[in-house]
Amino acid sequence: MKHPGARRWFLVAAVLSLGLGWAQDRLDPYFVDILTRIGINVILAVSLNLINGHTGQFSLGHAGFMGVGAYTAAALTLFAGPKLLPAGAGFWVEQLWFLVALGAAGLVAALAGLLVGAPSLRLKGDYLAIVTLGFGQIIAVIFRNIESLGGALGLNGIPARTNLFWSFAAAALTVYVVTALVNSTYGRGFLATHDDEVAAEAMGMNTTRYKIVAFVTGAFFAGIAGGLSGHFTLTINPKGFDFNKSIEIVVMVIVGGMGRTVGVIIAAVLLTLLPEGLRMLSSASPSLKWIGETRPLLYAILLIALMMLRPQGLFTWKRKKGAVTA
Amino acid sequence: MSPILEFDKVTIRFGGLTAVSAVSLAVGPTELAGLIGPNGAGKTTVFNLTTGVYQPTEGRISFAGEPSAGLRPYELTRGGIARTFQNIRLFKSLSVVDNVRAAMQVHRTQGIWNSLWRGGAFLRDEQVVEKQALELLSIFRLDVVRDEMATSLSYGDQRRLEIVRALATKPKLLLLDEPAAGMNPTEKLELARLIREIRDRFQIAVLLVEHDMQLVMDLCERIHVLDHGTKIAEGTPVEVRRNPKVIEAYLGEEHALPE
Amino acid sequence: MSEFIQQIINGLSVGAMYALIAIGYTLVYGVLRFINFAHSDVFMVGSFVGFYSGKVLGGTSWAGGLGVMAASMVGCALLGILIERLAYKPLRSRSKLTVLITAIGVSMLLQNVGQLVFGTNPQPFPDTLPATTFQVGGVVVSSKDLVVLGFTLCLLGALEYIVLKTKVGTAMRAVAFNPQAASLMGINIDWIISFTFGLGSALAAAGGFLWAYKFPRIEPFMGVAPGLTAFVAAVLGGIGNITGAALGGLLLGVIETLVKGSRWSTWTEAIAFVLLILILLFKPAGLLGRVQAEKV
Repeated sequence: MKHPGARRWFLVAAVLSLGLGWAQDRLDPYFVDILTRIGINVILAVSLNLINGHTGQFSLGHAGFMGVGAYTAAALTLFAGPKLLPAGAGFWVEQLWFLVALGAAGLVAALAGLLVGAPSLRLKGDYLAIVTLGFGQIIAVIFRNIESLGGALGLNGIPARTNLFWSFAAAALTVYVVTALVNSTYGRGFLATHDDEVAAEAMGMNTTRYKIVAFVTGAFFAGIAGGLSGHFTLTINPKGFDFNKSIEIVVMVIVGGMGRTVGVIIAAVLLTLLPEGLRMLSSASPSLKWIGETRPLLYAILLIALMMLRPQGLFTWKRKKGAVTA
Repeated sequence: MSPILEFDKVTIRFGGLTAVSAVSLAVGPTELAGLIGPNGAGKTTVFNLTTGVYQPTEGRISFAGEPSAGLRPYELTRGGIARTFQNIRLFKSLSVVDNVRAAMQVHRTQGIWNSLWRGGAFLRDEQVVEKQALELLSIFRLDVVRDEMATSLSYGDQRRLEIVRALATKPKLLLLDEPAAGMNPTEKLELARLIREIRDRFQIAVLLVEHDMQLVMDLCERIHVLDHGTKIAEGTPVEVRRNPKVIEAYLGEEHALPE
Repeated sequence: MSEFIQQIINGLSVGAMYALIAIGYTLVYGVLRFINFAHSDVFMVGSFVGFYSGKVLGGTSWAGGLGVMAASMVGCALLGILIERLAYKPLRSRSKLTVLITAIGVSMLLQNVGQLVFGTNPQPFPDTLPATTFQVGGVVVSSKDLVVLGFTLCLLGALEYIVLKTKVGTAMRAVAFNPQAASLMGINIDWIISFTFGLGSALAAAGGFLWAYKFPRIEPFMGVAPGLTAFVAAVLGGIGNITGAALGGLLLGVIETLVKGSRWSTWTEAIAFVLLILILLFKPAGLLGRVQAEKV
């Protein structure tokens, strides 16, 4: 993406998402449902890939940032919105307010990313993994303890604002920002940090800064994904953003190939469809019912098998000469 | 002329082990200096002290007249110290030209918004950097492999690329850690010519750690000898070669020449 | 006051079990420099082995209880060695990240296989060891706490003996200090690594058995929370340092129990990690650890 055409692609994606938003009511609801979730998962996976893949800082707390975003956005539309907006505000005011809520979700999550990242990004791999995992725990405990945010029960009755337009436009924005960053001076900094921190520092790179930029940017988009997710499922609770959710996102990144945006997008799509496939299989006949309950087990086996046989991910191919990362 | 690098009684201890003890040395602004000594003499530790990887326990290190205490490696690199590594440490997921570009951006980093907007200024700047990187590569005849992945180069080319990458940070002092390791005699001759050319062309100081005595003696104008963490000799190649302490350190006492 | 003493005793016994788990993390980190994510699930398997062998043996007696604990320890030692041989050993030359992800995979695998075998619902743990409560000057003491503390002390003593006085312990320390040099000295590294995994897993299993004895409801995800706390304990003590891990475990056990008994009880689960972040900020090498410079 040295090519200036990148912005054009982004425009195409934006128009496409507008079209999809318009077509939403004319499509099969089940189909819309899956597409929306694909959009959200693409955001999560691509943003985590910036941290785990390109920059090589293994985070296990992405769902925590998603949770921060989800609660922030929901608080804005559920509590602040009705007080601030005129009663009976129309569709466009609602949509605009949702945009504000999503932006706030991203910013608050980014702030959380900064708070977690600044002290812990000096640490090497394993430690960072544990600290981010711990962050996910702490976030859940915090939400459980805030009664005004529903405590352990979470928040219900969140207005349905997420549609195909928001989901896809945000996904397109995420992919664009990550790709643009990776193909800039920052990108070479991320990759150099990933490859060899000592050498990167010796070449004049402030690796801590690159790690924080990657971490905060990743957290920002995870926050937006959280905001979208809350206004899609209409109910959120602390458990929804726990370790298992983080692992789901990690699996997408690993299956797609760490540091490969295209691969990770494919993986996000396929792994959103996989549970649907499993569900269909298990409901097809009573003898196949067990399949529906094996998703976490499947993920576990998938992780181990990939690490043994194809640690670079499934959807990776040799890099084209001259191209940086796709 | 005042030295570019100066060690003033520098000591570093790791736990109970004194790796470098009260070492003083000075490297002139365009000097070709060598640092030699038997295995474990503390040569690489001197490099790590110079580049800010370690901080001295005692003593003072100055670079370009300024004390360098407390500065992190990347800050020292920005100030003008560049290095290569004993075991080659190229960026393996970057191409040859991007390895050089990555090092060049020390002195020009685009802000986040520019990188995201990718406007004219951004693209022009990227082009300038790429052009400079290619110029530098062509001096070392590595421009033909510009788009190969760095790790796919031959061993000798990887060593040269590491030097190019270090030069891309526009250093005043270049530290080479065993640049001739694993090279055959022809390659070593070529390397010596190259190092001299670098000094002449860029007018910088070069300090190298090397095991190959022939290379050091032929190339260096001034040689510092370490043994067991202390400096035992310093001088021109001829002086060092005749120094009994040096001979003793290298040959072991039983073979020492009578004084 | 008497309530405070009770809390301290309670905290120490919880901490003793954290210590048993933490030592496994620290031992493995010592020789392989990686965090064995699956360790907390070995702990879980330990209490389930105890559950089944307790049912087979039946009854409540000291001999029976010891037998059950021994069964857990042997079972988990074998499991630990198996995990290392099958999952980690083939990846030893690969990047640390690969091993870390594999370890996460193994952890999930153990939990989910556990769920298939045992079911999701918590099951009551049989009373394998006798237990009473008695009063000492107004302080109600559960014999369970004393048993946990006593057993842990014995195990730590045995560990100390193995690590410091035996040949294999010396070899372990050599491998931890410098694997290449150790291998050149004729030490069979593979064997020592297996032994380390076995030893760490056996201690975790003992911890799992004692945990189930003190909190007799067990389920396949029971390892997650104590495992994480124990890991923090290992870091707190200075990872790679056995004494540090034991001290860290005791300290965390007491702190957690005190918080749990206070009006901040709902925050208990967050303490370990708040502590972890604080340690890493101010004393990254832990209380007893030494900072190691990376080789350049």
